[in-house]
Amino acid sequence: MSRTVLLWGLWALLTGLGASAVFAALYINGDRSVLLPGQTAGAHHQLEIACETCHTAEPFASQAKVQKKLNKTCVTCHKDELKAGDDSHPKKKFTNPRMAAYWEEVDGRFCTTCHAEHVPEQTQPMMVTLQGDFCVSCHSKGDQDVRKNRESHAGLGFDTCASAGCHNYHDNRALYEDFLVKHSGKDWLAAHPVVEAAALPTAAKPVDQQEIATYLAAIEAPAADDAINHDWAGSAHAVANVTCNSCHAAEDTAWTDHPDQGVCADCHKSAAKSFSLGRHGMRGHSKISKPRDVEKRLKKLGLPDAPEFLVSAIETYLADPSQPEVMTVQEARVDLKAEAHGEGMTCNSCHLPHREEPDHSAVTACLTCHNDDHSLSYLDSPHHNLWQAELTGNAVPGSGVTCATCHMPQSEKKGLAVTNHNQNDNLRPNEKMIRSVCLTCHSLEFAIDALADPALVSSNFSGQPTRHIESIDWALKRVEPSEQGANQ
Amino acid sequence: MTSYAKKIKAAVLCGAMAVGGTSASAEMEYQDVADLLHLVMSSDRTVYTRMIVNRLAVKEKVITASEHFEDDKALVLPAQMFRFGAEMVAEETDAFSYSLLSLWPINKQNAPSTDLEKEGLEYLADNPGENFYGEEELGGTTYFTAFYPDISVAEACSSCHNEHKDSPRTDFEGGDVMGGVVIRIPMDG
Repeated sequence: MSRTVLLWGLWALLTGLGASAVFAALYINGDRSVLLPGQTAGAHHQLEIACETCHTAEPFASQAKVQKKLNKTCVTCHKDELKAGDDSHPKKKFTNPRMAAYWEEVDGRFCTTCHAEHVPEQTQPMMVTLQGDFCVSCHSKGDQDVRKNRESHAGLGFDTCASAGCHNYHDNRALYEDFLVKHSGKDWLAAHPVVEAAALPTAAKPVDQQEIATYLAAIEAPAADDAINHDWAGSAHAVANVTCNSCHAAEDTAWTDHPDQGVCADCHKSAAKSFSLGRHGMRGHSKISKPRDVEKRLKKLGLPDAPEFLVSAIETYLADPSQPEVMTVQEARVDLKAEAHGEGMTCNSCHLPHREEPDHSAVTACLTCHNDDHSLSYLDSPHHNLWQAELTGNAVPGSGVTCATCHMPQSEKKGLAVTNHNQNDNLRPNEKMIRSVCLTCHSLEFAIDALADPALVSSNFSGQPTRHIESIDWALKRVEPSEQGANQ
Repeated sequence: MTSYAKKIKAAVLCGAMAVGGTSASAEMEYQDVADLLHLVMSSDRTVYTRMIVNRLAVKEKVITASEHFEDDKALVLPAQMFRFGAEMVAEETDAFSYSLLSLWPINKQNAPSTDLEKEGLEYLADNPGENFYGEEELGGTTYFTAFYPDISVAEACSSCHNEHKDSPRTDFEGGDVMGGVVIRIPMDG
């Protein structure tokens, strides 16, 4: 056999093996990360290796079916927030055939029209992959021409609709015209700025050191470490008879020094659920797909009774990589501190295991990792001063403003404060924060102006807004016509 | 087939359409299906407008009706009630769709958007008491499209439209044609 034939044979063999590996990874099992067409946007990188979370269509399905199924998965996770945000452009507004002409412009029936994935080079803020003036497609013609419907909008560019603090495509709860009018003309700061839910009584716990000492003297100290005994005895866990074994040997299992999050979630169900909806905890979201089942995949490829050796060989050599259970700091794509690398996001990342320490959970823990200007400026901000005053007893409960006050707002349920553990729930666009947070203490006008001032956001609101958004003024003009007749 | 029996059959077919998502049977005229669907829609809408909104918000003044009904803790406006129903139907089936449109819409989204819509709404305005039927192709599908006059059935209708800051027309009176209900049934397959 000549050398040429041998080399051709080797080439064919290697090519065949390579093609088989790619085919197997795509359709059966195996690491597909090298096949990723482009980085995903936002926090979706956390589920990048679990392709089936979004790509639910069968292999070789029609393009229409792929698009339909893909878009269905968006609302699997984002349905509740769209509903809560009273979505201004819901899919159901676009499915009526009378909207067919608009499908040619911006097809509002599909999330992916504006939020294409795997195209980092064209992904804008809010994960939008259209040009920033996309509103022009529908709101610039005929009866829909906003420049004709609103005198104030005559000279405005369509790139300013969603970028100037006036409109959002989805959530306009704090920006719609009548709301602007209703909340106009108020002082920038309320007379008694207090977050009522934060002032609610918390779960019962010992009131002072004396009570803790008396309690510890009366029982057999549960742990060898005095500091841990003391911390635990001062917590609501001790009052509720949640002992060492309740967490470290839950349900008669063997003792573990480091209980996992499931132990916390057994009791703190609502916190665990909202945690899994945000970036910190979304690795625990129930809808992230699991590694593919080899036998099921082979069956779909027409091999219903694949020999066991084939199944076990694939499982051994071509297994889907498992999704990490928690998000880690080094994986994050926001500015985080290098010294925090290696940390995984669990309950204990923010909560001390044996002691309740609001300053730790609501401020210190955040600043352990977050390294952006807004976070770093917090300690010098007026909001932090208020928190210090509350902590030292110089201000009433609920008057302090921590990171969590704004990013994990509390609400009242059955007389107790419930904390939203999805810290992204009201984050983007930042006007989502107006109703859930800002308006508690500030006027709508101030909140809109402040949130639209990037420098003020960076300085963690140390000062007054340097720009004014005219939306309230314009809205007022339409209901209180001037002598020139502003009402159209 | 007597007219009565035909209506019964149509009603059964309508039910089947809503549940099964099939398109209108060839045995039944598209116009009959649309007329019956409209009868249900307009009756429900009139009942809500007269017995809920007009009675409680206009006559007895015990509650208001507002576009921002959640924020204002108010009644849903009759037009919204109708539209929410249409959106719910759209989520269940594409065997038919319907909308409430006008040549004088408060919300500009409800202005005519197709040539037939413009023609139909103008016909309704010019010929009070009459319906209008036509066919049109939208997004590659041919539709049977029926137009029914939307009439001011209570004081609340005309007064609210006359007073609203976004209303392009402010001289509506009771009994006026204010717009039209448009029902579409796909004719292909």
